[in-house]
Amino acid sequence: MLTSEEVNSIALESRLVLTDNELVGAVRYINNFLNMLDRFKELDLKDVEPFSFAEALECPLREDTVIQFPQTQAILDESEHVDGAYFKVPRIMEE
Amino acid sequence: MELYELDLYSMIEKLKAKEISPQELYESCKARIDSCEENIHAFITRTDDFAKKQLSENLSGIFAGVPTVMKDNLCTQGIKTTAASKILGDWRPPYDATAWKYLREAGAILMGKVNMDEFAMGNTCGNSAYGPTHNPNDISRVPGGSSGGSAAAVSAGYVPFSLGSDTGGSIRQPASFCGVYGLKPTYGMVSRYGLISYGSSLDQIGPFARTIRDLQLVMSVIARHDPMDSSCFREKNPDFTHREDVNIKGKKFALVKEFQDFTLDAPIADAMTKTRKVLEDEGAIIVEVSLPVVARYAVACYYALAMSEAHTNLERYDGVRYGYTVTDAAGVKEMFERVRSCGFGSEVKSRIIAGTCLTEPSRCDEYYVAATKVRTLIAQEFTRAFGETDYILQPASPSMPPKIGEVDDDEMKGYEADLYTLPVNLAGLPGLTFFTGYAEKLPVGLQLIGPRWSDPELLNAGLVLERHLGQPKIANGGIK
Repeated sequence: MLTSEEVNSIALESRLVLTDNELVGAVRYINNFLNMLDRFKELDLKDVEPFSFAEALECPLREDTVIQFPQTQAILDESEHVDGAYFKVPRIMEE
Repeated sequence: MELYELDLYSMIEKLKAKEISPQELYESCKARIDSCEENIHAFITRTDDFAKKQLSENLSGIFAGVPTVMKDNLCTQGIKTTAASKILGDWRPPYDATAWKYLREAGAILMGKVNMDEFAMGNTCGNSAYGPTHNPNDISRVPGGSSGGSAAAVSAGYVPFSLGSDTGGSIRQPASFCGVYGLKPTYGMVSRYGLISYGSSLDQIGPFARTIRDLQLVMSVIARHDPMDSSCFREKNPDFTHREDVNIKGKKFALVKEFQDFTLDAPIADAMTKTRKVLEDEGAIIVEVSLPVVARYAVACYYALAMSEAHTNLERYDGVRYGYTVTDAAGVKEMFERVRSCGFGSEVKSRIIAGTCLTEPSRCDEYYVAATKVRTLIAQEFTRAFGETDYILQPASPSMPPKIGEVDDDEMKGYEADLYTLPVNLAGLPGLTFFTGYAEKLPVGLQLIGPRWSDPELLNAGLVLERHLGQPKIANGGIK
């Protein structure tokens, strides 16, 4: 069972700040979900390989050619955090 | 008959013969939308101006002049794309999703972007920042989800076909609830480039339509290789040509042994019996396959993987480059926290937290890695089953569409309802929802599953069923 402190800490790792009500719901949700996953313990998975599609075993490669993308300005137009041709975020170092 | 009532094939024939014009067809579909949309609320964004611009250009291609709608997680260049989330705000993608690009190049006219559960997380189309969509057959009920808007738009006669996406049943369950045909193609059959990611190893784009022949037409356009999606097939294009002379004589159709003990709503159980008789009358052989790992572990396996992949895919939403943002944050950490906490809905937040929890180093082996191994067992089980049968017949949902607001508060119970659809995504198989008839005015659909890359044969089997079970009618859309 995860405590509300543990769930809150996981939420903050995901950059989510939960209200008190949201935290209560999240604790119930996560613990119910982990209970469901406990079924895996019934299986012997020691010699089982993780899944992959057979087709994915060979990595397809494209020709290494330059393709022009004319929509640069359209991308920048979508942001409120632009300085010239760059995105600019608030300061990263905390005071 | 009004023009909007025509199926896709008939629209194409009449347009080609110049019996009708694209403009007339557009006006008919638009009038139908105008009359029903207040009841159904299928749209997030209507694109009348874009459609008119398309109509003013020289249209060419197999779908020249045919109206359609796209689920709002498919990128459309310069047109708002939200994934039904507040966090994407008024984002206008700088490129088209490949599936939409192929349709646009084939002359399809975009009527709008339609509703869904936020980031495709849900099975009611009620978990949208833009409010719920209503089932056109009974507007007090849900249309299913997550592609509820795409299913409702076809069911109500807004458009003859639409595209949705299916990560764990999001095409097949709403197709069943709304009384239309829906195909979740084999993973890799349709390019995912430009589909807003939820669970990348599970997501697949597919079509809705009111006839199987129309599904074949749409697949013939969108099932093409795309170098922008490394998981997209590289062989020659599959053949979805429609043929009248298909039959299923001697083909094996399996029922899943372990599912026989599970409870189904009476109309769905009756539809299983009726369909089984149709298959037997057509000379098919009914067999039984055993899928014990699927029956017991698929739901847990699916949600463990889907949430883990979702938590990674949704890390990109931070308010810097697009969508909802704040401009007065003191630092980047505060900005990310405020944007994400306010921008995501509660179901999405729950799944992000769960995915973060499962992939933390201390728990990763116990949950995430274990789930990837269980997925291997599930895929192997299907491979064995398809050594014994050609198709698997099962419901798309154990229950009929619930009333809006009557959905169970226990999320895990809701997840268990996806047992009939999500194993198909885990094994990357194609799944077809087909119409079987009505029960007290509500349509009842079932599901046919085939081996990987059998999509053309699966649709042919669907044609035989359609011939005997009949096609759905256009729903009244809440109009008495």
